[in-house]
Amino acid sequence: MSRIGRFWNSLATPKKIPRFYSVILGVLLLVGFIMPLALNDQQLYPRPTPQLQIDENDPLAPYDRGGVPLKEPGIVKSQYPQFSEKSGMVTSYLSPIAIGVSNTTIYYGTSIYSSPGGLIDEILYYSRGFDTILESTILMMAFVVATWVALHFTMKRREEE
Amino acid sequence: MDIIILGQQLMGYIPLGDIVLYLAPVNLFMFASALAFTTLIAISRTETQVEAGVGTLKDQEVKVDKDEFKIRRFLAIVCGLATAGAMITGDLFNFTLFVCLIGIVNIGIVAAVKQIDVLDAAFQYGLVAMIAILPLFGGAAMILASTGTISLLEIAHIPTTFMMIFGSLLLFLGVAGETGVAPFYATKAEMFRTPGSPFLLIIHLSSLLVIIRVIEILLIINKPF
Repeated sequence: MSRIGRFWNSLATPKKIPRFYSVILGVLLLVGFIMPLALNDQQLYPRPTPQLQIDENDPLAPYDRGGVPLKEPGIVKSQYPQFSEKSGMVTSYLSPIAIGVSNTTIYYGTSIYSSPGGLIDEILYYSRGFDTILESTILMMAFVVATWVALHFTMKRREEE
Repeated sequence: MDIIILGQQLMGYIPLGDIVLYLAPVNLFMFASALAFTTLIAISRTETQVEAGVGTLKDQEVKVDKDEFKIRRFLAIVCGLATAGAMITGDLFNFTLFVCLIGIVNIGIVAAVKQIDVLDAAFQYGLVAMIAILPLFGGAAMILASTGTISLLEIAHIPTTFMMIFGSLLLFLGVAGETGVAPFYATKAEMFRTPGSPFLLIIHLSSLLVIIRVIEILLIINKPF
């Protein structure tokens, strides 16, 4: 009986809570090892297998989605095609620098150039644009809090006399 | 789209590309109450606590200074808007993002306090909220892997598999850590021992509304009836 009481008391101590939470999470994650996997192969946001494009010596290797900008849509599947009619039109856009680099090397797709304005991941910016807004809002709020704490030193540096 | 979710007819939807916010009576009601409470908070002032000295006349007023008041009001409004958004979103990943935003902002509201006990508790709550991100997004990813979609309107038609149940368990554990419900409540209870009442109440309200919403989502995913 006293053991249960001690357990309840430990739940009331804030310091013990992260440990307690991690134990529960760990036990639940162990179930994942014995769980039968039933993956759906009709995925919403498909990508071709990376090896396929690498073997073809495609310079955009794992990220090539095909298509011609503003003329022909690339391989983009959206959940509700009726809400995003122009989907896939700019997926394959490459900036002039990116075109230049991709002509010289076959490893362009995995290089650092491929990101900003190189290959546009249209799923992220067009059909799921609201998520992008929220993600950056989370980041901004984290910075707001951190800046405020840093500027105002909310911790008491020294105990008050 | 003519869809009935949990016995209620949809009154409409707001398409934002693949993210479709749907308007059903319960969701609309929770959305409106979250917004109304946010407005009340935006126009109110903080309370002042009085710490009485026993046996003496040295009563102490604990006030919130202006800088602290401003940052708290701002974060409380963001928290209210995030709660309102989480109420009507019809997309699982979008929902997890809203919950994550609520968690970060909750830490921020109490981070402006100058009491050591409260800050310690907020730190522990922050640790739990950080750990909770793993099951939160992991659960959503698990459901995406087993159904191939994260739109709740589509998931409503897909028969439940064991992997979906596991995914929704992870999701629930994530939300529980992020909002600090029953067994993990101690950290949040300590956080309330600080002046500045109306802004602290949004922490309570957001976790209550989010828990109701996550139960609705779990019912949609698992279809027990």
